[in-house]
Amino acid sequence: MSVHDTAVSQDKMDRPLKKKKTVWDTPYPWLIPLLVILTAVFLYPIIQIVHLSFTDANMIQIGHDYTFESYLRMFTLPGFIPMISATGFFVFFSVIFQLICGFIIALLIVQGEKMKLRGTVVVRTSVLVAWAIPGVIIGVIWGMLYNETDAGIINYMLGIAGIGPIPFLSDPTMALLSVTLANIWRGTAFSMILMYAGLKTVSKDLIEAAIIDGANGFQRMKSIILPAMAPIMLVNLIIISIDTFNTFDMVMALTSGGPGNSTEVIALSIYTAIFREFNLGEGAATAVMLLIINVVMTIIYLKVLGRRGQVE
Amino acid sequence: MKKTIITGITCLMLAGAAGCSGEDSSAKDQDTLTWLTTSGYSPDAPSEGTADYISEKVQKFEETHPDMNMKISLQSSNIDEAMARLLEQANTGRAPDMAAIDGYMLDRYMEYLQPLDELMEERGLEPNDFLPFAEEVIRGEDGQIYGLYMSTDTRMLYYNKEVIEEPPETWEEVIEVSKEVQKEGYQGLVLPVGIGEGTTVTSILPLFWSQGGELVDEAGNPSFGKGKNREAMIKTFDTLYRAREEGAISKRMASSGQENDANGEVAAGNTAMFLGGSWQAATIEETLGDDFENWEVASLPMIEEGDETASSAGGWAWGIFAEDPEKQEAAFDFLMDSFISEQGMGEFTSLQGSLPARESVYDSEYYDPGPFNDEFLESLETEARARPGAPSYNEISVQLQTSISQVISGSKEPEQAVDDAWEIVTFGESEDDK
Repeated sequence: MSVHDTAVSQDKMDRPLKKKKTVWDTPYPWLIPLLVILTAVFLYPIIQIVHLSFTDANMIQIGHDYTFESYLRMFTLPGFIPMISATGFFVFFSVIFQLICGFIIALLIVQGEKMKLRGTVVVRTSVLVAWAIPGVIIGVIWGMLYNETDAGIINYMLGIAGIGPIPFLSDPTMALLSVTLANIWRGTAFSMILMYAGLKTVSKDLIEAAIIDGANGFQRMKSIILPAMAPIMLVNLIIISIDTFNTFDMVMALTSGGPGNSTEVIALSIYTAIFREFNLGEGAATAVMLLIINVVMTIIYLKVLGRRGQVE
Repeated sequence: MKKTIITGITCLMLAGAAGCSGEDSSAKDQDTLTWLTTSGYSPDAPSEGTADYISEKVQKFEETHPDMNMKISLQSSNIDEAMARLLEQANTGRAPDMAAIDGYMLDRYMEYLQPLDELMEERGLEPNDFLPFAEEVIRGEDGQIYGLYMSTDTRMLYYNKEVIEEPPETWEEVIEVSKEVQKEGYQGLVLPVGIGEGTTVTSILPLFWSQGGELVDEAGNPSFGKGKNREAMIKTFDTLYRAREEGAISKRMASSGQENDANGEVAAGNTAMFLGGSWQAATIEETLGDDFENWEVASLPMIEEGDETASSAGGWAWGIFAEDPEKQEAAFDFLMDSFISEQGMGEFTSLQGSLPARESVYDSEYYDPGPFNDEFLESLETEARARPGAPSYNEISVQLQTSISQVISGSKEPEQAVDDAWEIVTFGESEDDK
């Protein structure tokens, strides 16, 4: 061995040993359990639903054929337009009023806290109760309120004032309004909690600076509070929109989609197709449509409102 | 570290294997009889009397069958959903050994159910002792018996005889009587014409059947929208529409889909007559107390004088899916002793407030008849029919409920409503098939 060789070996030994990086040294293996769970409980059911939507499967007979009939049926039969209209009305007004009412109640609570009024926690908690009550129970409660006989609470009170009785649940238009109102009541609580959290994040320094600059209440709301709350309002909007699109339990308990199909929203239509008519193919096709609506709506919200929020 | 993990896994596998082998050995000693039932027919029944009765029967069964361990599963309280799941289980070979089945649907399970003729003969149970409609339901196309009808019900007109002397027999009379009683502060006829199965079985089918209408043909395909059946269905819708237009029935009935919706109306005290199920008699009796004496029942009013009266019967049956003869026998023993024998059916239906499905039980010492027992029996013997068990029935029923609800709420004309329901139900079928 030459002197030169010895020097090279010595040099190799002095250098720290560089271990070859394997996949086990990355975070990916730690994500495997999550991936497995998501695939099993999220991805697989979606694939199954899409698959079923292209079949004539039902829950009464074994086997199925592949067909586009479920989609054709959904789009061409007389119930489609009323279902889309009822859902559009229900979701649009529910979301708008849940946002507005949630914001107003949150604002009142924050103002109450600033003024050190007693009972703000009680108000916050009691509003939350509406959110915690299961949809079916809310349907039953509002059913008692809307009852059109003398036993109905609202009609009884209107009767004292010489008004009514109002056909809250038996007139197609009134029934849709009644169901939407009950859903606004139900969803306002959750909206309020998010809005309250958003209001708490608005910098007090900024508001004080605006007051010193002479900004009035409306200007403070428009130029400071609303822009600061934009991200949380966007999250709120997405969550309550999806929640409302997916609502069927409360509607089922309150009207079962009637009278006729005047309150049959998309989610209830899925339930009816699968569990009352046993028609898996049609129910799955409607579910795919609802999934697409939810995804497209979320993307639009994120693209339009998200970008606007960033600009501001 | 690696060694520890490998040792741990090996231990777990060994423990698992030991557990499995243990299970195997106990399975040899004791077979499991799986029983799928609704909560109302289980040891967890909401009624304490029923719960105690069934618990006692289960205990007795386990004492007399020490080699058999009974495993009870409860169905969803949503009957349609529960029946769909049971069918799915049967389709995939996972059916329980015995199950409670909504009576009229029994036909759908027949290819998976075991024939019971031999066991019935051994226990002296005559198929023709079942009420005529029930026997028709439990008898398969091959003539064998595939189910044990347990309890039933029928629909009738309830009326307050203090207000209405003679019950209306036709819808003309219903309109007339309704107008009269409304002048006295009572409301017109109360009946379900909204979204719910009560609408189909109580308000639509009896009128439709009384005109000779058939919902499905012999092959089980929808038939209500063609030929004479279409005419009968339009006439049924027209009759209800006219009653609504004349003010005999309130528009708010369009939001009532179940017979039980009438209970609250009766409790309010201004109801003179309603269409309801036999099970409601006990509830109304409890609600009204002494005033119940004024109430009577009569056959459902028909469209025209001379139309044959009709009603629909419901109720539950038991089916045995087990292929193992020992399990079949054990299941049959349990069902007979608890629900089907003279004593079992008599005691159980008395507890439930339902009607026995066997004619001989009505005279049994074990049966405690409720109000209007004779009238209900006559209705079941002479005019009651079960809904068709065809797979298309559920969709037909849902569409008819939606359509009549649209008619009563004023958003569709009767003919249009019937034709729309027919279009939905027969979508994709060629004109010839229709």
